[in-house]
Amino acid sequence: MKAKEIVLCALFAALMGVGANIAPLLTIGGVPVTLQLLFAILAGGLLGSRLGAMSMFAYLFIGLAGAPIFAQFKGGLGSFISPTFGYIISFIFVAYLVGKLFECKQSWFSYAGAGFLAIAVNYIIGTNYMYFAYVYWVEAPAGFSYVLAWSWMVAYLPLDIGVTILSIILIPRLQKAIKFKPLSKRLT
Amino acid sequence: MLEKMIIGRFIPGTSIVHRMDPRSKLLFVFLFVVAVFLANNVVSYAILLGFTAFAIALARIRPYFLINGLKPVIFLIIFTLLLHIFFTREGPVIFEWKFIKIYEEGLRMGIFISIRFLVLVLITTVLTLTTSPISITDGLETLLNPFKKLKLPVHELALMMSISLRFIPTLMDETDKILKAQLARGSDLSTGSIKERVQAVIPLLVPLFVSAFKRAEDLAIAMEVRGYRGGEGRTRFRQLSWHMRDTAVLITFVLLVGVLLWVRK
Repeated sequence: MKAKEIVLCALFAALMGVGANIAPLLTIGGVPVTLQLLFAILAGGLLGSRLGAMSMFAYLFIGLAGAPIFAQFKGGLGSFISPTFGYIISFIFVAYLVGKLFECKQSWFSYAGAGFLAIAVNYIIGTNYMYFAYVYWVEAPAGFSYVLAWSWMVAYLPLDIGVTILSIILIPRLQKAIKFKPLSKRLT
Repeated sequence: MLEKMIIGRFIPGTSIVHRMDPRSKLLFVFLFVVAVFLANNVVSYAILLGFTAFAIALARIRPYFLINGLKPVIFLIIFTLLLHIFFTREGPVIFEWKFIKIYEEGLRMGIFISIRFLVLVLITTVLTLTTSPISITDGLETLLNPFKKLKLPVHELALMMSISLRFIPTLMDETDKILKAQLARGSDLSTGSIKERVQAVIPLLVPLFVSAFKRAEDLAIAMEVRGYRGGEGRTRFRQLSWHMRDTAVLITFVLLVGVLLWVRK
């Protein structure tokens, strides 16, 4: 990896930490908003698949190493116990897949596809992790079903859709503002 | 934003746990997390609790910081306890009042699993309280070295982590500044419809990204000018050293697992 690539990933991981905690400033209907999903999509869109995934990977590790950069200033090795840790894992895949889609084709159609894909991946990985966390660590009683885990998460869906639309609008604007194309196309 | 970040993190100290090699601490905590799931009766949970208390005593951490570390998961622990008490229906009924029925098995499971969480969180908190993120990064880099064979960019990842750790406070500061600047210009983030508020985020994020990418550009140039060429053959500023106490930690772990296997039903 080139120095530039390493630095970009590092900065994006740090930005992700900021995005996760902008929340106290932005509450919509009492729900603190984390912009993690937005930043993960931006990572894929701006850095490309490989670097985007790499930066999300770095984000996960920095959080586990003890820097308070997960949502609500959490952090530390114990974070993986939290049932919502799956969402942080899902960001790696979100960034990778969004990046891949953007590398293939750049049109509004692929933007919309990327947004949809991002939410789907985020929810599938996140909710499954949560379900297994409850079943295996909490050893939840029989009443806790797979359907219950999903219905729990649906409450956040409208907000995440809003955030995703925002990120899709932002990508072209940011690309223009920072005059930055995916590295694979720019660096020789 | 910045003030909130400092609470409950690494606290410098001179205890034996502080001075241990990050590699041995990481390895120990990682294995311990797996070993916790071996416990399944009163004696084994008591051993785990005792061991954790011993580790805390060795690290000489002030209780205040420990409680702070517990905060994020306290909800989960209480939730688990209540979930089991009210919804696990096995064994004889030990308490009955109107529609509430508490079963012996439910109480037992609730307490055990809460202890499991408590132990997991405490031991990982001890790690993060006694080891700075930078030394965890160094330890992680050496521990992950074998994965280089699988083409995983371990050195690059560690470097990324160090750079990122250095820039998190800077970027938080910057976000604060941009936010205040936009508020001064009359941008409104806390009222209006969702659409309006989402739109109000854009003027916050664009300058943030522009400045972050500019910083990245500067830093990359600075690195290249100084001849950075990746991990091959690089010497290090912070050297890790493995002592007797680190070997002792791993031996303790083996003993602990032995005892747990022995007392477990």
